[in-house]
Amino acid sequence: MFLKSLKRTVGAALVATLGLGTAAFAEYPEKPITLVIPLGAGGSHDLNARVITSIIPQYLDQAMIVRLSPGAGGQKGTQEVANAAPDGYTLLFSHNYIDMLQQHVENLPYDPNTDFVPVARVNYAPIAVVVRGDSEYNSFEDLINAAKANPGSVDMAHSGNWGALFVPAAQIMKATEATFNLVPFQGGGPAMQALLSGDADVTMGFPSTLSSLVDSGKVKVLATAGDERIYEDVPSFAELGIGGDVGFMHRVVLAPAGTPDDVLAKLSEAFTALQEDKTYNRMMGRLGENTDYIDGGKYQMMRQEQNGAYKDLVATITQ
Amino acid sequence: MIEQFADGALMAFRLDTLVMIVIGLFSGMLVGALPGFTTLMAMAILLPLSFFLDPLVGIPFLLGVYKGGIFGGSIPAILVSMPGTGAAVATSIDGYKLTQKGESRKALDIALFSSVIGDTFSDIFTILLIFPIALLVMQFGPPELFAVLLMSLVIIVSTSGTNPLKGLVMMLFGLWLAQIGTDPIGGVERFTFGIFELKSGIPLLPMLIGVFALPELVYAVMRSQRAQEFAKLVGDRLSKAEFKRCIPTIRRSTILGTAIGIVPGLGQVVAAMMGYSAAKNASSHPETFGEGEIEGVAAAEAANNAVNGPTLVPLLTLGIPGDNVTAILLGAFVAQGLRPGPQLFEEQGTIVFAILVAMVMANLMFIIIGYLSIPFFARIVTIKTGLLVPIVIMFAFAGAYVFRSDTTDILMLVGFGLFGLLARAARFDVMPMVMGFILGGPLEYAFGQTVAMAGSTPFEFLFTERLGMVAVLIATPIVGYLLWRRMKSATA
Repeated sequence: MFLKSLKRTVGAALVATLGLGTAAFAEYPEKPITLVIPLGAGGSHDLNARVITSIIPQYLDQAMIVRLSPGAGGQKGTQEVANAAPDGYTLLFSHNYIDMLQQHVENLPYDPNTDFVPVARVNYAPIAVVVRGDSEYNSFEDLINAAKANPGSVDMAHSGNWGALFVPAAQIMKATEATFNLVPFQGGGPAMQALLSGDADVTMGFPSTLSSLVDSGKVKVLATAGDERIYEDVPSFAELGIGGDVGFMHRVVLAPAGTPDDVLAKLSEAFTALQEDKTYNRMMGRLGENTDYIDGGKYQMMRQEQNGAYKDLVATITQ
Repeated sequence: MIEQFADGALMAFRLDTLVMIVIGLFSGMLVGALPGFTTLMAMAILLPLSFFLDPLVGIPFLLGVYKGGIFGGSIPAILVSMPGTGAAVATSIDGYKLTQKGESRKALDIALFSSVIGDTFSDIFTILLIFPIALLVMQFGPPELFAVLLMSLVIIVSTSGTNPLKGLVMMLFGLWLAQIGTDPIGGVERFTFGIFELKSGIPLLPMLIGVFALPELVYAVMRSQRAQEFAKLVGDRLSKAEFKRCIPTIRRSTILGTAIGIVPGLGQVVAAMMGYSAAKNASSHPETFGEGEIEGVAAAEAANNAVNGPTLVPLLTLGIPGDNVTAILLGAFVAQGLRPGPQLFEEQGTIVFAILVAMVMANLMFIIIGYLSIPFFARIVTIKTGLLVPIVIMFAFAGAYVFRSDTTDILMLVGFGLFGLLARAARFDVMPMVMGFILGGPLEYAFGQTVAMAGSTPFEFLFTERLGMVAVLIATPIVGYLLWRRMKSATA
C-alpha cells in the first residue's frame, strides 16, 4: 500500500520534471523577470518602474522585480544586463542618453549597438526651457540673443554632464550657436532651486513637474520640445527651428542581444497589452507621465538615428 | 490659515490614518534595522500602494515608514556597532560602548526619546515658520554649501579623539578615498587603475560595516574566551534623572539639526556629527564621550532627526524635491491630486495641515511603539556569542552585498574590515576617515559648481555676490583653533 503510493509519487514527480523541462522552451516566462534600472532609488525611472511592475504580471503570468543598480553614470547596471544570459529573464530599463549617447563620451565596457535589442519604448518626457518669473528674458529669442552677445554669461543649471537636462541644452547650443555657461547640480530638483534662488539664469524641466511653478508665476516657460505645443502660448522647438528628436527623454526597456524571438514577442505582447490597461493609464497619469508606446522594432530605427545625431553633438560641443 | 489648521488637525484624527501610521512605523523600523535595506527602498516599493489609499491614509503611511526607518537604523548601530547609514555613525560611538557595558536598553531608550523629540520639535517649528524658512533656504547656494561643509570637516577633526593630528591624517585619507572613481563634474576617471568596478567609486555601506562592525566582531570573539556572552546584560531602562540630564543636549541638538536642515544638501550626517561635537565640546566632562555617554547618543539622534522638518520645506512651498525621499513623497502627493508648490496652501491648505498634524502624531505614536519593542531588540545582545557572532557576520555580508547586488562590495567589506583592525591596533580613530569620505564628494561637487558659477571673474564673484561664503571661510580656522584648544585643556 505504502510502497504503491510511493511508486506513484516518484512516477508523478518524474513526469512533472520532464514536463517542466519541455515547457521551458514552450512557455516563457516560467520564473520572475528582473528589471534592472541603472539609476538610483526615488528617481522618475524608479517610480515609472514601480507602476509597470505592479501591473504587467497580469499579462506575463509572472512577477517582474525591480533591481536598482546605480553607478558610473548608468554604466554599472547597463553592463550587468549586457553580460546577463539572453533568456528574457534580465531586462534593462534605461533612457536614450545612457543608451546611445554615452558611447561617444566614454569608453564603455559594452557596445550598446550590438549588445542590446529594444523591447519597448514605454513613454517619453519632453523637456521645457525655463527661466524665473521675473527674468529679463521673455522669449526664447531673448535668451539666445543674450547668450550669443556675451558667450558664457548666461548660467544654465543642469542635472549632470550628458544627462537629461545637459543634452537638450547642448542640442540647443548646437542648433542656435549660442553658448551657455553650464553649471552642474545633483539632480533636476536642485537645478530648479538654483534657478529660483538666482544662482542660475535658465534651466530645463519636465512639464509634469512644472505645473505649480508655472501657474504661480514663479517660472516662465520659453520653449518646449517636439513639433506640437504643450502650453498654448509657448512655441515648440520645431517652430523655433530646432527639429528632430531633440529634448526627449525616452524611457526604454532593452533586452540583451541574442534573446530568442519568441521571448521578445511575448514581452512585446505584454507591453502592448499594458498600454491598454486602465489602471496602468490612470497610475501613469497620476505621476504626470504619458503612455505613448513605441514597439521595439520601430524604436530600433530611432536608436540608430540617435546614435548618429549624438555623435555629431558630442563632436560639436567638446571641440 | 488658523481655521485651515484647526480643520486639518481634526481631519487627521481618524482610525484608519492611525492604524496605517502604526503599520508604517513598524515596517519602517524592521527594514531600517536590516543593514543593506534602506528606508528609501521600502518607500519606493510601497509608493504604488499609497496611490490606492485615501491621501490622509497613504501619505501618513509613507511618513510612518520613513520615521520608523530612521530609528530602525540606530538599532544595529547601538547593538552591534553596525551603522547602516552615515546618519547612524555618530550614534554608534557611544551607543555601542553602552551595549558593551551592559546598558543596551538604556542606549536604545535615549535614542528613541531624543530622536522623537528632535523630530517633533523640528516638525512643529517647520509648520509654524514654513514661509520664513522657505526664504532662508534660497540664501544657500553651492558656494555657501562648500564653506559650511569645509567648516564641518574642521570641527570634526578638532573635536575627534585625543590626537587631532591623527584625526587629520585619517580625514585626508577619507577625502582621498572619496576621489576614487569617476569625477562627478568633469567625468574623468581617477585612481581607478582601469578597474571597472572602481569607476562608480567606493560604496559607503561596505566601508561602514567594514570599519565599524567587523573589528568589533573580532574583538567580541577574542573576549568571549573569557566571558560567554556578547554583552551580559540589557541593563535598566532609562531613568528620569538620566533623561533630565540629557535635556540641554537634546535641546541644543534639535536647534542645530533644524538649522542644518535649512541648508539644502547638508543633511543628517552633518547634523549628527555636529550635534555630537557640540555636545562633547559643551560638556563639563568631555572625556566620558566615546566611553558610553548617554548624552552622546542623545546629541546624535536628536540632531539627525531634527533635519527632517526643514527638508520638507522646498517640497511643500516650491514642489522641489531636495533628495530622493522627498522625491518619493512628491510622487505620493501628485498621485493624490495634491500639487506641492506655491499654491499648495491656498488650494489645499486644510489637507496639507492634516498631513503635517498626522506627521506629528506619527512621532508621538512612535514613542509608544518604540518603547514597547525596545526590550525585544535589546535582548538580541544576550544571545550567546557563539551564536550571535555568526548571525551578525551573515547580516554584515548580506547587507554589504544586497545594497548594490555586487560581489565586489564583499571584497570591499573584507578590505575595510582589515583596515579597521589595523587602525584600531595603531590607535587611529576611523571616524574622521568615514566623515571625510562621506562629505568629500559633496564638498568637491560644491567647489566645482562654485568655480563654474564664478566663471572668469572669481574675485568679483566672491566679494560682491558671495560674502556669506567668504565670512564662513574666514571663520573656519578660528573656530577650529578655539575648539581644539578647548578640547585639549578639557582632556589634559
